Amino acid sequence: MSSFDLTKPTRQSVKGLVIIFLQSIRQAVRMFWALIAVFVLQKNLLSNQFLVGSIVVLILVLLIVHSILYYLNFYFYVSEGEFILKKGYLKKKVLAIPLERIQSVNTKQNIIQQVLDVVSLEIDTAGTVGKELKIHALEKSLANELQKYIQKEKSQISFSENEEVQKIEVAQEKPVLKLLPIDLLKIGISQNHIKTGLIIIAFGMQIFQQVQDLFSEKAEQYSNEFFDFMSNSSVALITFMVIFFLFVSVIYSLVSSVIKYYDFTLFKKDKTYRIESGLLNKRNVVIPMKKVQQLNWETGPIKQIFGIYKLVFKQAVSGQQNQKKQQLVDAPGCLNNHLELLKSDLFGEDKLSGVHKFYSNKYYFWRLWMFSAWLPFILAAPFLFKFYLFWLGAFVWIAIAAGYCYLILSKQYFNINNYQIRVSNGAISQTWRQMELYKIQAVEFRQTIFQKRRKLASLKLMNAAGSITIPFIDDKLALKMYNYLLYHTENSNDKWM
Amino acid sequence: MENFSNSVVLPENLPEIHQEEFNSLSKNYLKIILIRLAIFALFVTTGILAFIFFAGEEAPFFVKLIMICVIAILLIYLVVITILGFAKKGYMVREKDISFKRGLIVYKQTSVPFNRIQHVEVNQGVLEKIYNLSSLKIYTAGGTSSDLTIPGIAIETAHNLKAFLSEKISEHE
Repeated sequence: MSSFDLTKPTRQSVKGLVIIFLQSIRQAVRMFWALIAVFVLQKNLLSNQFLVGSIVVLILVLLIVHSILYYLNFYFYVSEGEFILKKGYLKKKVLAIPLERIQSVNTKQNIIQQVLDVVSLEIDTAGTVGKELKIHALEKSLANELQKYIQKEKSQISFSENEEVQKIEVAQEKPVLKLLPIDLLKIGISQNHIKTGLIIIAFGMQIFQQVQDLFSEKAEQYSNEFFDFMSNSSVALITFMVIFFLFVSVIYSLVSSVIKYYDFTLFKKDKTYRIESGLLNKRNVVIPMKKVQQLNWETGPIKQIFGIYKLVFKQAVSGQQNQKKQQLVDAPGCLNNHLELLKSDLFGEDKLSGVHKFYSNKYYFWRLWMFSAWLPFILAAPFLFKFYLFWLGAFVWIAIAAGYCYLILSKQYFNINNYQIRVSNGAISQTWRQMELYKIQAVEFRQTIFQKRRKLASLKLMNAAGSITIPFIDDKLALKMYNYLLYHTENSNDKWM
Repeated sequence: MENFSNSVVLPENLPEIHQEEFNSLSKNYLKIILIRLAIFALFVTTGILAFIFFAGEEAPFFVKLIMICVIAILLIYLVVITILGFAKKGYMVREKDISFKRGLIVYKQTSVPFNRIQHVEVNQGVLEKIYNLSSLKIYTAGGTSSDLTIPGIAIETAHNLKAFLSEKISEHE
């Protein structure tokens, strides 16, 4: 069936040469950018064109030699239940990972790889070696073969270990969720535009200033006319700004949604999900259900109109340094029935919706309001008390903050039963986070002296994907939950991953 | 839906953590924190003095006075908090988990079940070496936020604990 043998050392696709070469150029630029900047800025150094040209050629030749050597010395194969990757020519490196330790095999495709019709393959493990187990260029068919092979070998090993007589279901992969262009439109519109708008404003200001610096003389006359008109009517200015940034933000969100979620499909195959998505960077991520530590789902005012939720699979982060690098494991644009389906896959029958909602105490509101409104006000007042505008601004700010903090308090609650917990939070939008209690890694009880007086406390539940904080609840309840969570976790024999 | 009771059904008589069961840290560890604080204070005061000396006449007298007062109050506050807060620090090993508590103004108590520990490390700094102390670091899969560091325990105790915990970890694998 296969034209290649995985048990024999195999090199990656010859096209990989191009990718290795481009990557080494990028690495070189990243390493020596300061030096390059010096050369570019010091114009007299560039005057000797022959010297500069020969240096560039020399570097390119070195990088080509490096790429070829790297390519020739890069092998992978499977031997005795281990996936082995050999690389390096000066310093040789052999990475071996037992197949059963492999969590998932993911592929990605950036724009160059799309042009070359190859994929990069990443092997995700529970340990820290994961980051290095990456093959830059594989023919698609070979990548699929490898993905399937590892999955098959893995299941064989686990079956023989458990000696369980189970029917090996040859389950068909079924698409659970597919995003159509109209869905992408909805997702783009329902993004948090205030946040995007602020980021764009910050960016815009910077670019504006730089442009101004560059063309200060020519731009002055135009911008003066423009600003004269604008500053004559500050209402017009503000309205213009708001509409403009809202417009830019919507366009930006639409474009980024299309780039990120183009052709998004969520597949399901017995205990695994697979996500395919992206326009320029195609990704193919496998999510074993066991690895999901926590499920988040979010909805907001505009999302509610469309009836959609944004769903995030929070997985165990492999290795400490990988925490920053978030994989694309969110499924935006889920309808209610998708959400219910995924929830029942991961958590079984929903037993939490009916149980009591424990809300955070009202002092949570007071603390939020004090820190966000009164404290800055009191700190600023001695310096600004002379300005009328300050008092007006402060009044408006304190009033808005009160409303916002009230929204936060009204959405901060949790449901718990003996096996699972679901925590809700948010202000304008609302997020729910649900996890199995035995997936807890550590528990923290937290109480300030002010909270102690009011018999309140906060609880922080840490799992392998992050943490959930439950603020300002009755301290007796917090301690009871603390004790129960420890008792439950210590008595559980289920593997958290 | 049927109308069932709304109260949480967490079982009663769960093992509780009692404050008085915590082991306090070695008294010498307080000395180490105070020495660290002193070094920090030395840097800060040197900086301030250098500023006052070089600023000369340019900065008004009351600005200098305010700076000195603020720094002095801050340092005194840090010393008081450190000494009073030290009593709040403690660790406890139970049959199935290990806990650490700290904090005078913000009290925090963290517990890690043995069956969630990834590995254990014993560290010793320069100052700690003088007093024969060390810190025990317990890694979980939860990343930095759920890792537990217990400072100020005698090196022998730390190694014993490490051996004990390592044995517990292997039991669960």
